[in-house]
Amino acid sequence: MSLILGLLLGLAALAGLGVVLSRDPRRQVMAMAANGLALTLLFFALQAPDVALSELTVGTAATPLLFLVTLAAVRMNRVRQRK
Amino acid sequence: MSPRTRLALLCLAGACLTVPIWKVAQALPPFGAPTGAYGPAVNALGPPLRHVSNMVSAVNFDFRGFDTLGEEFMLLCAVTGAVLLLRGTRGESLADKAGIIPGRPRERRADATILICRIFGPLTLVFGLYMALHATVTPGGGFQGGVVAASGLLMVYLGEGYETWRKLVRSRVLDVMEAGGALLFAMAGLSPMLTGAAFMQNVLPLGAFKDMLSGGLMLVENVGVGFAVAGGFAMLFLEFMEETRALKSETQE
Repeated sequence: MSLILGLLLGLAALAGLGVVLSRDPRRQVMAMAANGLALTLLFFALQAPDVALSELTVGTAATPLLFLVTLAAVRMNRVRQRK
Repeated sequence: MSPRTRLALLCLAGACLTVPIWKVAQALPPFGAPTGAYGPAVNALGPPLRHVSNMVSAVNFDFRGFDTLGEEFMLLCAVTGAVLLLRGTRGESLADKAGIIPGRPRERRADATILICRIFGPLTLVFGLYMALHATVTPGGGFQGGVVAASGLLMVYLGEGYETWRKLVRSRVLDVMEAGGALLFAMAGLSPMLTGAAFMQNVLPLGAFKDMLSGGLMLVENVGVGFAVAGGFAMLFLEFMEETRALKSETQE
């Protein structure tokens, strides 16, 4: 196992830890996107560019966006109910 | 169950599992060692049999094309379910105005943001198309290209705001794209049967190796997947964004 692979595996583990340890939902979404980016680099280093592309588009763009929009919708509805 | 008992249970389970996990880990092949015979076989057979250089596409659209058809309809069902759930509780009326979270300052969009989005939005779309079209030659394919193209649409939202996004992205067009793509894939599987061949048998001319137009039937299936995925993801984005628009009662105030 080369040095780069070891570093990337460590990075992915760290990013995953960040997702679990962050408590604020919006920060958690960002941590999840960072984890997706770390996984993308790892897949790329492991010579799986197809999987890396899927992870990049779905893991760092689509899923975090849907979560962010959902959080925004939840906050708006909360305020509406208080009125 | 008290936290102390839970901790004791965890320690007990850990102690029981450590030895078996260690034994299994010892028996694993070393990291990166080639194990399956399938990969080398596909690598050896793909270029001569199917004239494609991206073996992932060869597996996805040809050797295991039937599995991908199932995945395609899985995505279709997932998107349809999400649309039904969200639109069902919200209705289809268009207020055409973005909602506001009270208490948050509304700042004008920076010129740099608009410029960057206007440059990179079309570029992202073109890159998605490129990726979808070159599925049989380079890494990527209909799925990845479709998602990239759909995320290019998000640049419109980021740079131009909700109103323009709502005018540009029509759910009717996305409906047709998504359903039409899935239909094209299914027809690509069924139509070889008209000639007496098997389901999804690659009956079209295979083209030249490393050419964009190589792979025969794979290209058709890939275009179907590209349309379906781009339409499906854009539809998901649209339906989720619609959750944040202002309600009619709010805009009339």
